[in-house]
Amino acid sequence: MIKSSSPNNSKVVLELKNVTKTYTTGGTQFNALDKVNLKIYQGEFVSITGPSGSGKSTLMHIIGLLDNPTSGEVLLEGKDISKLKEHQLAQIRNVTLGFVFQQFNLLAKTSSLENVLLPLLYSDVPKKSRPKIGIDLLTKVGLEEKLTNTPAQLSGGQQQRVAIARALVNNPKIILADEPTGNLDSKSGDEVMKFFHQLNEKEGRTIVFVTHDMDLAKQACRTIIIKDGKISEAKNA
Amino acid sequence: MLKPSLNDLLKSSFRSILKNKSRTVLTSLGIIIGVTSVILLTSIGNGLKKYVTDQFDSLGANSIYVSPGKVFNDNGGFSQSGGMMLNTFTQKDVANLNRKLNNVDITPASAVFADISSPFSTQKNIEIDGSTENFGKNNNLAPSKGNGRWFTKEENDKNTSVIVLGYQLAIDLFPKSSAVGRKVIVKGKTLKVIGVSDKKGASFGGPSFDKQAYIPLNIAFELSGKNDIHSIIIKAQNKDLIEPLKKQITNILLEKYDKDAFSVFDSSQLLNSINSIIGMLTIGLTGIAAISLVVGGIGIMNIMLVSVTERTREIGLRKAIGAYPRAILIQFLIEAVILSCIGGATGVLLGYLGTLAIKPFFPAQVTTSSVILAFGVSSLVGIIFGVAPARKASKLSPIEALRYE
Repeated sequence: MIKSSSPNNSKVVLELKNVTKTYTTGGTQFNALDKVNLKIYQGEFVSITGPSGSGKSTLMHIIGLLDNPTSGEVLLEGKDISKLKEHQLAQIRNVTLGFVFQQFNLLAKTSSLENVLLPLLYSDVPKKSRPKIGIDLLTKVGLEEKLTNTPAQLSGGQQQRVAIARALVNNPKIILADEPTGNLDSKSGDEVMKFFHQLNEKEGRTIVFVTHDMDLAKQACRTIIIKDGKISEAKNA
Repeated sequence: MLKPSLNDLLKSSFRSILKNKSRTVLTSLGIIIGVTSVILLTSIGNGLKKYVTDQFDSLGANSIYVSPGKVFNDNGGFSQSGGMMLNTFTQKDVANLNRKLNNVDITPASAVFADISSPFSTQKNIEIDGSTENFGKNNNLAPSKGNGRWFTKEENDKNTSVIVLGYQLAIDLFPKSSAVGRKVIVKGKTLKVIGVSDKKGASFGGPSFDKQAYIPLNIAFELSGKNDIHSIIIKAQNKDLIEPLKKQITNILLEKYDKDAFSVFDSSQLLNSINSIIGMLTIGLTGIAAISLVVGGIGIMNIMLVSVTERTREIGLRKAIGAYPRAILIQFLIEAVILSCIGGATGVLLGYLGTLAIKPFFPAQVTTSSVILAFGVSSLVGIIFGVAPARKASKLSPIEALRYE
C-alpha cells in the first residue's frame, strides 16, 4: 500500500471557518454542516470519509465552491469567497479547481481530447496553445493513442483517466475527487489511486478525495471523518 | 470578452444539433412550412402586382376613362354601390364633350354581348365593343401588318358591316386559316372580318381582350337596339394634362349629372386601387402563414426544453468546471437560433423553388425584402422561443444537475 507524503510546507490553500450549512425540509431545520473548521494545506493528500447522510457531499460542495455556506467563511488562499456571486465562483472554480467525479461525466460522442479541453473553453488560455496542453495531459495519463476516441470507445478506467486529464488542464491548485474509484473494478481503481499518488508526490499537487471506503481513505496522509455534520481528523502516517 | 468564443459556441451547437438529425428536421419543420408559405405568398402577391401594372401599361398611357356610376369610393377603393353598367351615357354627352374639349381624342364605346358564328363554330356571349376608328390605336388593339386593319372613319360613319376579332377569338372561329376577309354572323347580321388584333396575353381574372371583338359604334347600336354609351375614353396629350383634363371633364358632366352618377378616372388610379387590394390580400394571407412561424417557434421551445432536461448532467459538469450562467444561456440560445435558422434557410430555398415551379402558370416573383423578412422573423422566433429553455438551463444548480440521473 502506498502512503502519501505529508505536505512539504504549511501554506493553507483552503480554509473553512465555522462553516454551517442549514437545509430546511418540511419546516424543520437541519444542519448538514455544523460549525466546521478545516484547513487544507498545499501539497496535501486528504481524504474525506463518513457514512452516507453524514454531510460528506455537502462538505465536498462547499470545498468545491459549488455551494455557499449558510454561515461561516470559506477562505481560498486567504480570501473570503463565501459571499461571491455564481459567475464569480464559476471563474474561480475554472482556474483553481479540478474535478473528478464517480460518474466520469465526460461528454458523449465527443473525443477524449475535446473532453480534456472543455474547461479551457471558459478560460483565458489562448486558443492556439490549447491542443498541445490536452495532448500532453492525455500522454501523461497513458492515453496518447486514444485522442480521438469517444467515451463509448474507452474502458471505465480509461474514461476516468480522461477525466483526470480534464481536471488537470487548468493547472488547478486543488484536485477534488468524489468517489473516483466508485464505478471502477479494483484493478482500474488501484491504477487511478496510483495516479493520484503520483500527482501528489511527484508534482506536489493538493488532492482532496471523498470516499466511503475506509481502506481507501487511509491511503491519504490525513483523513477527515465527518459524522452528523461535525468533523474529526485522523492522521494516517 | 465572450468565453467561450462565438466560434467555439457555434461549433458545439452545431455538433449537438447534428447528434439528433431527425429531431432537428422535425423541429425545424414548423419554421420551414411557415417561411415557405410566407415567401410563396409574397411572391405571388408581388408577381400579381407587377402583372397588373404591365397589363395597364399595355392598355395605353394617358387615357382617361369616363364611366357611368360611381366606380371609386372616397378612400380610393372600389365603390360597393353602383357598378359599371348601372346607367349609360348618351351620344349627346359624347357630342357635348367633343364640343367643349379642344384637341383631345374622344372615343366612346358601347358593349354588346352576343354569340358570334363562323362556318366552323359559334362562340357564345362574346363581348363586342362598338367604338370609333381611334379605339384600336388608343388601346393597342390595332392589328399589326399582315393581320388586316382596324376600321376607318368612313366605315364608322357609314355603318359598314365590318368587325375586328381578338387574337384568340379569331383562332376559335377560324381554326384552320386566317380570319381576315371571312364573314361572321352576329344576331343575324353578317359582318366582314377586316382584321385580327395582336395577342395581348392572358388577362388574369378580368376579361381577355383576345376573346373580344370590335365593331363600328353604330353597328353596336344597331345590334343592341339601344344608343347606349357604356364608357368614354379620352386621351390626354401628355401625362401632365391628365389631371386638368379630368377636372374639365368632371365639370362638363356635372352640368347634367349628379356627382355620384359617373366616374372620371385614369389608369393609374385604377391601378392603385387594384394594387392596394392585392397588397391587402397579400398581407392578410402572409399574416395567416406567419402563424405557422409561431407554431414552429413553440416546437423549437418544446424540443429545447427536452434537450435541457436530457443534458442536465452536461450542464452541471460545464458549470462545475467553470461555465458561468450566461455562457450556458448563450449556448442554448444559439442552438435554438441555429435550429430556427436551418428552418428559415430551408424555407427560403423551398419558397424560391416553389415560386419557380408555379411561374409558368401564375405570375410570381421572389422579392429580396420578403426573403430578408422571412429569414429575419424566423431567427427572431428562435431567439424569443429559445430564451425560456436557455434561462432554465443557465439557472440549474450545478450540484443538482450533477446528481441528476
